[in-house]
Amino acid sequence: MDESELQQRIEALLAEHPPATTDRLDFLHARFDAGLAWVHFPEGLGGLGLSRSMQPVVDKALHKAGAPDNDPQRIGIGLGMAAPTILAFGTDEQKQRYLRPLWCGEEVWCQLFSEPGAGSDLAGLATRAVLDGDTWTVNGQKVWTSSAHIADRAIIVVRTDPDQPKHAGLSYFMLDMHDPGVEVRPLRQITGEAEFNEVFLTDARIPDSDRLGEVGEGWKVANATLSSERVAIGGHAFPREFGMVMNVAKTWRERPELRTPETHERLMRGWVDTEVARITATRLRQKLAAGVPGPEGSAMKLSFAKINQELSGLEVDLLGDEGLRYGDWTMRRPTFVDFFGQDAGFRYLRAKGNSIEGGTSEVLRNVVAERILGLPTEHRVDKDIPWKDLPR
Amino acid sequence: MDLSLNDEQQAFRDLARDFLDREALPHRTTWDREEQVDLSIIPKMAEIGFFGLTIPEEYGGLGGDYLTYVLGMEELGRADSALRGIVSVSNGLFGKSVLGFGTEEQKQEWLPRIAAGTSLGCFGLTEPGTGSDAGNLTSKARRDGTDYVLNGQKLFITNGTWADVALVFARTSDEGARGVTAFLVPTDAPGFEAREIKGKLGLRGQATAELFLSDVRVPESARLGEEGQGFKIAMTTLDKGRVSVAAGCVGIVQGCLESSVSYAQERTQFGRPLAGFQLVQELISDMSVDADAARLLVWRCADLIDRGEPFGVAASKAKLFASEAAVRAANNAIQVFGGAGYVDEHPAEKYLRDARVMTLYEGTSQIQKLLIGRAETGVAAFV
Repeated sequence: MDESELQQRIEALLAEHPPATTDRLDFLHARFDAGLAWVHFPEGLGGLGLSRSMQPVVDKALHKAGAPDNDPQRIGIGLGMAAPTILAFGTDEQKQRYLRPLWCGEEVWCQLFSEPGAGSDLAGLATRAVLDGDTWTVNGQKVWTSSAHIADRAIIVVRTDPDQPKHAGLSYFMLDMHDPGVEVRPLRQITGEAEFNEVFLTDARIPDSDRLGEVGEGWKVANATLSSERVAIGGHAFPREFGMVMNVAKTWRERPELRTPETHERLMRGWVDTEVARITATRLRQKLAAGVPGPEGSAMKLSFAKINQELSGLEVDLLGDEGLRYGDWTMRRPTFVDFFGQDAGFRYLRAKGNSIEGGTSEVLRNVVAERILGLPTEHRVDKDIPWKDLPR
Repeated sequence: MDLSLNDEQQAFRDLARDFLDREALPHRTTWDREEQVDLSIIPKMAEIGFFGLTIPEEYGGLGGDYLTYVLGMEELGRADSALRGIVSVSNGLFGKSVLGFGTEEQKQEWLPRIAAGTSLGCFGLTEPGTGSDAGNLTSKARRDGTDYVLNGQKLFITNGTWADVALVFARTSDEGARGVTAFLVPTDAPGFEAREIKGKLGLRGQATAELFLSDVRVPESARLGEEGQGFKIAMTTLDKGRVSVAAGCVGIVQGCLESSVSYAQERTQFGRPLAGFQLVQELISDMSVDADAARLLVWRCADLIDRGEPFGVAASKAKLFASEAAVRAANNAIQVFGGAGYVDEHPAEKYLRDARVMTLYEGTSQIQKLLIGRAETGVAAFV
């Protein structure tokens, strides 16, 4: 299908379902059924089997026509992580059942991977699932779960065989968050917000038909989910002077009375680091487009955390007393982190999480050392021992 | 050179730590969330002696040397910097100014109450337009017969809404720093108003206030020192205040180190304790070196003070290093704790938020560098 055929399809959708007079959800359903939800998905599942690069054609045309969108910020985990995994590992039935309400935002998804005892060491996770007839009973605790309090469904990795080494005894499921065995509690963080939750699972039930991939293949499926996340993060092209440097540079330009030689030097260094990271991201994107995924994403994330922390710290220094005023300490449960709609103190505190979430800077340094520089690998004591015999 | 503590110093440190472990550590998260420490801890802290250290026994204090005082400040910083600030300002900035420059009547009037913790003092120097540039403050004190009438506004005043007395710096003439005079102003004086500033990044348990003075009348006997001596009083007191902040920062570094070490020993990932990873040991050893280096710089200041030697530049060095070390250590602690350090059930994130202001108040890091630079080169680079 070329671009003009795609345009015709968009026009037909708009003609049959005029946004001005069509219910929002009806429109989203129609858009999904017309294959215009995510064009790189297969026909019948909201797509047309086209290249991902055709999607902006659809998004722009529908936006221009005033059509409603599916509030992608609210359902980011479903779109970025659950959907690609369901597409890759789901049965036809599972794809039919889950993808449409996921994309339309009728079912919000969250991701239950990390545990209190399994952060960097995700494969060491301890939440147990035991099969009874055709239903699994799940017990354990998950943590750092964004959107859990609004979620209807979760992708979850659990231990189904403790006698296997840790990577081999895992399985991957889709969990109903409304199950009575699921309890969600907010975690109040350094910013005063509760962006994340703890999720307690007490005899939560999952039908075996909601398993993704084979029993014992959970690690493989989880890795597919995580690499979708990395593609989603690395997939954006940013303009020059974007991100954390944007606010600092703006303050610098607009408030000359705050400038000092020291802060000038730090701003210049941060600006250059940001530009280097941006160009690196462009190279990474080109390699991904050419089908050569590499470990550079880890180096990118490492430098992103460092840049964010340094520049948000600079902004607070630059503002002096003003930078230490903190607007709002009431507990909120946001579903999307808005770095820029808040004050400098918020950015400074929130950026502290950047060197921890999505791979700590220490783990990423190991990746860079081993996979990019080819240094000897870290001695791993826990690879071939049955999980149940590992020290925890 | 003997760097060991004597029995009294050791005993006070143990007493302070034991008290704070029981009375402060279990509550600090709640105080921080609620933006106020439980004020019933103030008389208990006074009983331990925090408010009476270095105030002579004849004025109701404990006496004691400056090294004992900084040991107390370190323990307070390790427990909760909000508490450290309350003591530093009331005993330190307020009490030491009165002790150093007050008349016998002024000392008798205020010091016993400060030492007993029945009155809190605050220190009214900073104004909306003058932070680092205190010599150009604009609050005014006009002579009227034998009284003075004060007008002006002060900002970021610790203890402002809790204090019974404020040391207010106001201008009695236009001669820049030489035109500043200090006054002891009871906070119930007509025309004196304190408003709490809510919404701070750190030190959330202590009251930080704006002070408004509208025709506040005080007798001549409330003047501290001579007319025009105020800036000198402020700078002399702030030199000691810097040592106190630096000591509190040593406590932050020490607290970050201790909590990180115990967490790294307890938590296992990849089949071994976090403490078994080289990059985690790097974070911890950096904190350990910073704790020792900062503490030794602070102890040197205390030793200079106790021997009556000049200590201003040493105080700048200690304050610069210890405050920057506190921010570094808190960052490292969050990193050791990982996600757990990012939520307020563990102390790391509060250490970071409390540490952040330390590089700013009582002279920013940049000001300290200019003071040190001037001492080294003989050339002033202040603009």
